[in-house]
Amino acid sequence: MLTTGFKLWFGLVVAAFTAAVFVGYTTGGTETGPLTLGWKGAVGNHIAYGIFMMAAATSGLLAILSQSFRDADAEAAAEILQVEVKDVPEAQISTGSSSWPLFAALGVVTMAVGLVVHPLVFGIGLIVVLVMAVEWTMTNWSERATGDSEKNRELREGLLRPIEIPVLGLVGIGVLVVAVSRILLAASVLGAVWIATAVGTIIFLTAYFISQRPTIPRGVVQSILAVGVIAVIVSGIFAAINGERDFHHIGGEHEDSHVEEDH
Amino acid sequence: MKNESTVVERIVTTTDSGTLSRYWIFSALIGLLFSSVAGLLVSLERIDLSSGSIFSTTDEVFQFWAAHRVALVLIAVLPLMIGLATAIVPRQMGASRLVFPRVSAFSFWVWLFGALIIIIGFLANGGVGTPEATSETQSVALTLMGVLLTVIGLCGASISALTTIVAGRVPGMSLLEIPAFSWSVLVAGTMWLATLPVLAANTVLIYADLKGRAPVNFGSEQVIWEQLSWAFTHPQIYLWVLPLLGIVAEIISVVFKNKISNPFLFAAIGLMGLAGFGAYAQTYFDIGTPVFEEAFSIIQAFIAIPAVLLVIAFISPKIKDIKEFDKRATTPTVLATLSIILLLHGVVVGAVHVIGPLELATRSTVTAQIVLTLGSGVLAFMAAFSWWGELLIGKPIRQQKILISGVIIHCGVGIFAVADFLVGFTGQNDFTGLSEFTAGTKSSSWGDALNIASLIGSSLIVLGAITAIGVCIKQVLSKTPATGNPWDANTLEWAPKEKEEVA
Repeated sequence: MLTTGFKLWFGLVVAAFTAAVFVGYTTGGTETGPLTLGWKGAVGNHIAYGIFMMAAATSGLLAILSQSFRDADAEAAAEILQVEVKDVPEAQISTGSSSWPLFAALGVVTMAVGLVVHPLVFGIGLIVVLVMAVEWTMTNWSERATGDSEKNRELREGLLRPIEIPVLGLVGIGVLVVAVSRILLAASVLGAVWIATAVGTIIFLTAYFISQRPTIPRGVVQSILAVGVIAVIVSGIFAAINGERDFHHIGGEHEDSHVEEDH
Repeated sequence: MKNESTVVERIVTTTDSGTLSRYWIFSALIGLLFSSVAGLLVSLERIDLSSGSIFSTTDEVFQFWAAHRVALVLIAVLPLMIGLATAIVPRQMGASRLVFPRVSAFSFWVWLFGALIIIIGFLANGGVGTPEATSETQSVALTLMGVLLTVIGLCGASISALTTIVAGRVPGMSLLEIPAFSWSVLVAGTMWLATLPVLAANTVLIYADLKGRAPVNFGSEQVIWEQLSWAFTHPQIYLWVLPLLGIVAEIISVVFKNKISNPFLFAAIGLMGLAGFGAYAQTYFDIGTPVFEEAFSIIQAFIAIPAVLLVIAFISPKIKDIKEFDKRATTPTVLATLSIILLLHGVVVGAVHVIGPLELATRSTVTAQIVLTLGSGVLAFMAAFSWWGELLIGKPIRQQKILISGVIIHCGVGIFAVADFLVGFTGQNDFTGLSEFTAGTKSSSWGDALNIASLIGSSLIVLGAITAIGVCIKQVLSKTPATGNPWDANTLEWAPKEKEEVA
């Protein structure tokens, strides 16, 4: 019996092959060239003909795979799972909320903007996309691992949390250190001291405020932290664009010591 | 387990098709406003180009002229259709959700960021380049990236909707038994997937020319708009509004209790899909001579008219059915009728403008056809919103307000299109590329009068877009619960869902 997947892919094979032949004959194909992959005669526009033929070949391969593995065939699934057909789990499992689509989109957008702005931004976007690809894949895998959603969640967390938490921590600290250092290096010597004091005081007071209110909603804490982190990162970017303050080097070229000069 | 997520978390992590649909629709309405304002500014400038009252150079006029078209297609009309499909298709298929809910969410976010980048690119003197090349290269590259991202988003959402139709139907429902709207989405989505990647490829090639090293040069850097314009003109624009035919068929069939013969209607919609395929009409992947392309364009123009007429013939109620008309459904029926009338005018103007001896191919007539066709898409959305509004936002719809905003848009599109169609005969050029950027060539007092009429039309379109956004926001904020099935329709989308996530 032909599976639904096979019918779909085979339909695409026919459509792509027809399109290739049509393009071939309307762009200079001769004799039976477009029908025989150029064996007897010319195929016309090579690019268009090649694209459609590749599409046909790829669809054909997927059709064969779909039929070979009996895609979406409940009887085949029941045989593998050794259960009755009526007990085969639903093909569409319920899907809850997920932050991966948003972060993956941010990664793709960062890559696109990076192509225009700077290779480093592109690199950051690429890393985000790769990380999201892993996270997304693992989430999808874990959701199908067993029939128990709680167990599935534990499976995923047991596997990925030991990696996620240290890596996220390192990245978070790294970003903040870089951003704060750019701010301090862009400010005057005295200004840097004041900024460091102000930032430290704000962090201390915010932490104190939160600790005194154990019932404070999680959303408020998240919002405060988000605003703080965004403020530091944005300030760091602006500081980096402005550049460091002037450093007046003294001594020879290989001397480490230097004197900083206020703006 | 208790759901402890915050409001912000729910907003950004949702994969619910209803919620994503609302995101698409609201964002697209904002895009419609941006596009309408850009069109209004160009209309204002056209009244007296020599004075430079709004813009100081023709390049600036070109930027906003191009922004109007790009935004109208990529940021307004297409996402409105995708938004409707995202909510309605799974319901009509009897599926609990879209087949790829996370891909749908990903697609929306990519599209949204892409749309923002396009707007920033245009406002930062980038856009799709300018005839005199005074635009900022970085901003042009940024706009191109925005176009690429929106195309990725639209393709992803289309794939999700198409797969739901193909693989997510309830058992026993064959393809020929699916509702007309889903069929039109199936045809439109397939054609979108056949053409949007071509637009993406064009964008990549232009970007490579713009930012790449000298050995890589496809010759598109100086003719950016010529490379992309096929996606924003005849015949391709028919594809962007194709779900309109399904919307109108659904509404008419229910309000007149008229059993529509599916296979023939479906064939007519498919014919319209073929009439709208325009990816061949671009300059890089040239499939033949310009004569060959022109022949295709003419054939499609004259296929589109019978295709629309066939759809109208199949959905028109018989005289005995008129008595069955449900007066509660006046608003969706009126808006649906107005939208298909606009589309019919659009395809007729499309056919007129390809007639060689009239020499209208590069005149303002082109703009008239685009605004008629895409305006019909916006009106179809308004009809769909008044029809499926309870499913889209979960609140009852104030029909009169939707009707008023729809009629304002209809009047605006009508006045604008008539004026631009007629002024095309006076010789006023449309921007079509490097060699013809002298829009608004003043040739007669008639031209002036028609340009003022065009300005009035543009103003009404902006007013209609603002009222539509206002009505939608007010409906969403309403506290009145939905009534369930206001039309006593028997299609599957009105069946109550067991559980809905609301973000």
